[in-house]
Amino acid sequence: MSELRTKSPADLSAKLAGETRYLHDMNFPGQLVGAIYRSPYAHARILSINVEQAKQVEGVVAVLTADDLPSYKYGPTKFKDWNLLAKDRVLFIGDEIVAIAAETKEAAQRALELVEVEFEPLPGLFDPEDSLKPGAPLLHEDVEANKPMQVSVSRGDLEEGKRKAAIVKGGRYYSNRIYQGHLEPVGAIASWSDEEGITIWAPSHIPYRARETYAAGFGLPEDKVRIIVPPIGGSFGSKYVLKVHVIAAALAMATRRHVKIILDRYEDMITAHPRVPLTFDIEIGADEEGHFVYKELTVYADAGARVYWSPNVVSTVCTRADNIYHFGSVKSEGYLCYTNNSPTTCMRGFGNAEMLFAVESVIDEIALDLNMDPAELRLKNIVHQGDTTLHGYRLDTCKLDECIEKVKELSGWHRRSSLPPYRGLGLAVANHVSGFRAIDPRFDGSTAVIRLKQDGEIEVETGEVELGQGMSLTYARIASMILGIPEAAILVKSGDTGRYPFGIGTLASRSTVMGGNAVQKAARSLAVKLKELARETLGEAADFREGAAVLEGQTYSLSEMASWYRARHAGEELEIKETYVPDTDLPDATYFGHPSPNYPFAAHVAEVEVDPDTGRTKVIGYWAVHDSGTIIHETMAKGQVLGAIAQGIGWVTMEDLLVKEGKVMNPSMMDYRMPGAKDMPEAEVFFIEGEDPNGPLGAKSIGEVALDPVPGAIANAIAHATGKRGYALPLSAEKVWKSLQNA
Amino acid sequence: MSAGQQDGNFKLNLNGQEVAWSGEPAASLADVIRDQQGLTGTKIGCRTGECGACTVLLEGRPVVSCLIPAASVQGQQVETIEGLARQEEFQSLMTAMQENGGVQCGFCTPGVMVTTWAWLQNPALFNGDLGSALKNNLCRCTGYLGIIRSAEQVLAGRGAGV
Repeated sequence: MSELRTKSPADLSAKLAGETRYLHDMNFPGQLVGAIYRSPYAHARILSINVEQAKQVEGVVAVLTADDLPSYKYGPTKFKDWNLLAKDRVLFIGDEIVAIAAETKEAAQRALELVEVEFEPLPGLFDPEDSLKPGAPLLHEDVEANKPMQVSVSRGDLEEGKRKAAIVKGGRYYSNRIYQGHLEPVGAIASWSDEEGITIWAPSHIPYRARETYAAGFGLPEDKVRIIVPPIGGSFGSKYVLKVHVIAAALAMATRRHVKIILDRYEDMITAHPRVPLTFDIEIGADEEGHFVYKELTVYADAGARVYWSPNVVSTVCTRADNIYHFGSVKSEGYLCYTNNSPTTCMRGFGNAEMLFAVESVIDEIALDLNMDPAELRLKNIVHQGDTTLHGYRLDTCKLDECIEKVKELSGWHRRSSLPPYRGLGLAVANHVSGFRAIDPRFDGSTAVIRLKQDGEIEVETGEVELGQGMSLTYARIASMILGIPEAAILVKSGDTGRYPFGIGTLASRSTVMGGNAVQKAARSLAVKLKELARETLGEAADFREGAAVLEGQTYSLSEMASWYRARHAGEELEIKETYVPDTDLPDATYFGHPSPNYPFAAHVAEVEVDPDTGRTKVIGYWAVHDSGTIIHETMAKGQVLGAIAQGIGWVTMEDLLVKEGKVMNPSMMDYRMPGAKDMPEAEVFFIEGEDPNGPLGAKSIGEVALDPVPGAIANAIAHATGKRGYALPLSAEKVWKSLQNA
Repeated sequence: MSAGQQDGNFKLNLNGQEVAWSGEPAASLADVIRDQQGLTGTKIGCRTGECGACTVLLEGRPVVSCLIPAASVQGQQVETIEGLARQEEFQSLMTAMQENGGVQCGFCTPGVMVTTWAWLQNPALFNGDLGSALKNNLCRCTGYLGIIRSAEQVLAGRGAGV
């Protein structure tokens, strides 16, 4: 076996050999198949539900409607608009009405066909701005004007900024509904026991929030819900909290057997909770020298029929980009709007990447008008190390200026003025957070347990979740460097609310910094304890170094040390639990505060070639320079950036989950085209390293900041290649071709 | 076709061994491999032949097993990731994939490994181009370059007699 092999459940060699068992690969004796009857209407009153015929189907064990279930208001955020099943009204195509558990898939399918629901169709709302208009039907009766949330942010004197502006650019931009495109479809297995309550095997990367949410949905105490997370086959934001999980649980409670639901790709895509589509009205003003003097923004966000994580996306849209430039003054209004579309949620980049598409586009427009190099204009306005940003982010480290200089060098930015026709180079920059205080105002840190096993191996337990991003390898490396033992002797475990420490979940690019700091702290404490143990056992002159107890040239292995500890402590293992509590502020009512331990930055350049006959864009070169502090695991960090580039290429040039009157028009991987190997150009990734004082070993996050600049960079490259600015993503062949015709 | 089809009992040559299975002749090869043979390395991502997570080798060529009726491949050699993983050169490909960032969440990975393996055995099958070979294998995590570099590294290592 390869030396790189670890014993963690997320071990890469197990994945490569096809040994990793995902949810799909797990089965329990006597397990039933779950299926869901979904609304064919985007908005309708339910007049009657008849499940008598469905219940008669041989092999059907349970058929549940809302009448069979508790009806608490619950939801993953403070907006409690979820149900278990729809009772009186359906709010989107795919809304869940009847749940079925059967011995076989075929029986479940037959039962689904025999469910009779009488609907009275109601007028639907499909555009977020229309939803806010007076007279629009209310989708949730207790929410005024279909507007569960409004964000208003104001900083500095906008009117003064407007007076100073010599040049103003902006317009209406749109970011599209994109599908996270996880290769593993959504699913869950659930079971029930009177003693333990609900157990759900669900690939969720926020299992503790899922536990809290689902317990509220069933009116159970939290310790009666346990979430066990199998290896996750891709998420990018789609696998947080899902109705499928609670429906599997309801069926398990009713049947007292394990129930497994795996959505097929069609069902996954019609009920996917895609990236929140946004409509931006944006304006940025600059003085004659190119110093920004104001930014004004109004944004409408489509929440769909129910709130998943869209509110947090809207707050990010309205604030995050203001921490990358000195805009002078800003004003943002954000409206979250209910519609009869499938609920939307977060996707990698979480509002920031969308906003930066618009901001970076507008900045290139300003540069064009000022006849200034776009890189120069950015360098004039960006934040620097030591700055406190407009919304209160304290930048202990920031090497964005160096990122811009380096990406210019690597990409051959000077070629920009001499490229052949229809070739373009575009630059964009980005920031992000490494965890975000407001994700859970109650606590935003992380806890790690570290344990010396009898065989001398070290076990690390965390509340954060491995998504394939390399969290386990990163944690193993942190512990390995502190303890001086090989990574292969460290086992990282996570993803079970019944066993491992509490964690907020792997979102907001938390895992490296929040969880990593906890692991670092725990490993340091363990090193101290091991030294004490060596002295207690061998005498005061003993030490613990390089993974072994040492005395007078004699070394004693960790497995010997484990035996010493057991002999002295009633057979117990040496175990340390440490909690990292970051020095962050919950942003105040005006969204001011220092919400993250540190902030990563990036500058990217894309090179494109546009075919004027078809409008098709090919990304032919890509350079990504990152300030993510110390890079702990370079291979995995690079992998994050390369994966993000591919995702961004898809986002900007081809992907669009098309919805017409609430109906997804392209719910298959054939019709929703994602990038393949041939769509990926040669790409160069470079890290400007440097220790951040608040990160484990000096690290900052990488997962999301890797995607944030991609849409802006490609959009700017297309504008450079064609002389036409694209305002609505995706900048598909059709749209680019059309813009070329409107000469 | 065969007598086997009428009584629902079929034979499959899977990873060099003859195995029997019973059921619907039109059951997909992917389902038979996973549910009847317990070889869960073959993943199901879309069931429409688009994502490539279910790729297996049929007579040495990569195919999407979700679209193939299991009874139709009787008498032909079927190899899954589990079978390939026993081969020596597969280990070098695994190591290269780890070193070059060719794997993240791992769900597409078995299919990617099967296709890459087929390319390594016979690049001419795909006009030599690994990008073309991988056209039916979607990966949402890695951005593909790590996969391509891994395969090239194994090929180069082989040339150098490593």
